[in-house]
Amino acid sequence: MILYILSVLFTMVALIFMLLGIVGLFRFKDFYSRILISSKVETVGFITIMTGVMLYSGFTWFSLKVLLILIIALLTNPLSTHAIARSAFISGYKIKREEKNG
Amino acid sequence: MNFWSIVITILAIFVVLVVVRVIMGPTIWDRLLGLNMISSKIIVSIVILAVLLDKSFLLDIALVYAVLGFLGTVLIARFIERSGNL
Repeated sequence: MILYILSVLFTMVALIFMLLGIVGLFRFKDFYSRILISSKVETVGFITIMTGVMLYSGFTWFSLKVLLILIIALLTNPLSTHAIARSAFISGYKIKREEKNG
Repeated sequence: MNFWSIVITILAIFVVLVVVRVIMGPTIWDRLLGLNMISSKIIVSIVILAVLLDKSFLLDIALVYAVLGFLGTVLIARFIERSGNL
């Protein structure tokens, strides 16, 4: 029973993290700020919701498969974010700075 | 109304919000970032659907979707980086 309550708590925390990521996606002005905040918060939400599912399922093969999906997503998610940011930097996307001198 | 069905409904609402960002994104990299986020949310949705229906083979589909989404994102990023010249 306490594992069920713990898994529900983890899942609700993960949903709050994902909502914060979407707020950050709409809040910031530059592309680099957006990609920074959304990738970090998305990864934290992914870890937390998969932990909630594993706590709900218990110590089974189902939980082991969920752990495998979590490991693969943790390996590939920063790589794809880095590929997008590198593509934007090489293609020449610059941040418009505010000119305060003069 | 189960708890996991409520979670999967909230995830669907999140996907709709990200689609708004994809449509009104100023640059093409914003759209690519939205594609990455939608892929991540769909993986979570498939895992929660496997918990909800208690079917274990849906996790394999989530695994394949994770690998294919990563591959697609990296390939589109390289395609834009070299300006359409693979």
